[in-house]
Amino acid sequence: MMNRSAWLWLAVAGLCMSASAQWLKVPTPGIPRTADGEPDLDAPAPKTADGKPDVSGLWAPAEIMIDDIAKKLKPGSVPFQPWAEALYKHRRETESKDDPTGWCVPGGVPRSDAVPYPFKIAYTPGMVVILYEAVQSYRQIFTDGRELPKDPNPAWMGYSIGHWEPNAFVVETTGFNDNVWLDNHGHPGTESLRVTERFKRKDFGHMDIEITIDDPKAYTKPWTVTQPLLLLPDTELLEYICVENNKDLVHLVGK
Amino acid sequence: MRPRNATSYSAIAIVAGLLFFSATPLPAQWLGYRIPGVPRTADGKVNLSAPTPKASDGKPDLSGFWESDTAYFYDLAKDLKPGDLVMQPWAKALQAEREGKEHQDDPLSDCMPPGVPRINMSTDAMVHPFKIVQTPKLVVLLYETSANSTFRQVFLDGRPLPKDPQPTWLGYSIGRWESDTLVVETIGFNGRSWLDTAKGHPQSEAAHVTERFTRRDFGHLEINITIDDPKTYVKPWSAKVPVHLLPDSDLIETYCENEKDEAHKR
Repeated sequence: MMNRSAWLWLAVAGLCMSASAQWLKVPTPGIPRTADGEPDLDAPAPKTADGKPDVSGLWAPAEIMIDDIAKKLKPGSVPFQPWAEALYKHRRETESKDDPTGWCVPGGVPRSDAVPYPFKIAYTPGMVVILYEAVQSYRQIFTDGRELPKDPNPAWMGYSIGHWEPNAFVVETTGFNDNVWLDNHGHPGTESLRVTERFKRKDFGHMDIEITIDDPKAYTKPWTVTQPLLLLPDTELLEYICVENNKDLVHLVGK
Repeated sequence: MRPRNATSYSAIAIVAGLLFFSATPLPAQWLGYRIPGVPRTADGKVNLSAPTPKASDGKPDLSGFWESDTAYFYDLAKDLKPGDLVMQPWAKALQAEREGKEHQDDPLSDCMPPGVPRINMSTDAMVHPFKIVQTPKLVVLLYETSANSTFRQVFLDGRPLPKDPQPTWLGYSIGRWESDTLVVETIGFNGRSWLDTAKGHPQSEAAHVTERFTRRDFGHLEINITIDDPKTYVKPWSAKVPVHLLPDSDLIETYCENEKDEAHKR
């Protein structure tokens, strides 16, 4: 039995995305292949020219967690502040009818890590960019040494800086607006949300993002979940213009 | 009002300003951050007349944060002589209707992407610059736009343009280097984009847009645009758009979440 959130996402997929498109079968250059020419997703994780973990590529969730990002945690273990728990329960009871992504804004962070559409991570000096098929949006993750901004103008995607650890690309993001939903069920976030994402590529085709939610206004302590990703070889992002034919709103009626 | 630069308004810009004001957020961060690795003059300002930088593969590096001459957002054909741009009869009628109705049917005011090449054009009212992110096999163009933050990918990995592509607002783009110029070819449009805003020059599904990006020096870029759309125009026509670098600044998140354009349409 599919839950309502899954239906919603299928509705989004059906209505906002092209039914078919091009470059879905163009061989991705530079990826390791087996003797029969198939992409070798079990090949070793690549390194950048300067020896750092290379997390670039076209990725999608290997496991659907967008409905409930805490689904793999022990039940009841999300350390809600009381008001945040009440809001979460209200959102569940009203079947996420107030979900801002129904209005075609991006899901923000970490929800975009779990969004069931592909996203592409690309490197350039001083910045890593993530291109999301979902809502045709993007994030810039600055690696040029700048600090997170002080008192930033609130944004759906926040402001991100990144650095490398021996086995991870680590991204810190702050500066969110006050209407953050961490997932479809509506785990709340506030303007004090700070998200740390550890991108850990296990081999060529598999990566985990360890996501730590640190939002003292909404949660009594930081909590961490892991979103597994799968590399999508020999394919491409599609154009996704959500506002063009958005039919979510008529389904977001709640109870 | 946004702080990036002060501009004067033409009459058309005031209309556009009404149309586009709603989607634009307040000033944000990292607009005054001193980007490292950039050539600077003795007083610490970015040296806009320094030589064109080179990428790791030896090609000119077009990466940077760019603002185009705003006039072309309104009229892409503004520099053309009579006879340079000849519309097919249906296109001429449609263009006249759009101009007569003060572009009230512009899909951009419904938060659709501006289309190609209009997406490259900054506007008088709200600026809306773009960022070029160059890698050897892929050039990414990051846009604010007056509707939604969005992006284009330009593939330089040797793939051909797709055959009979699924129609899109922003098309499918491949690029190649011709000497020091990045030549971007784009097809696969949905035929609904406007090439410009005040004039409303139409674009059909048959359009083939070529954008030639040449970085003259550190602070100056030129986009030479050719519109080849035989269903709409009797012959191809071109526009040369000057673009300048916005030093020590950055993109601002823009989402069409507070849509008030409708109220200003008439």
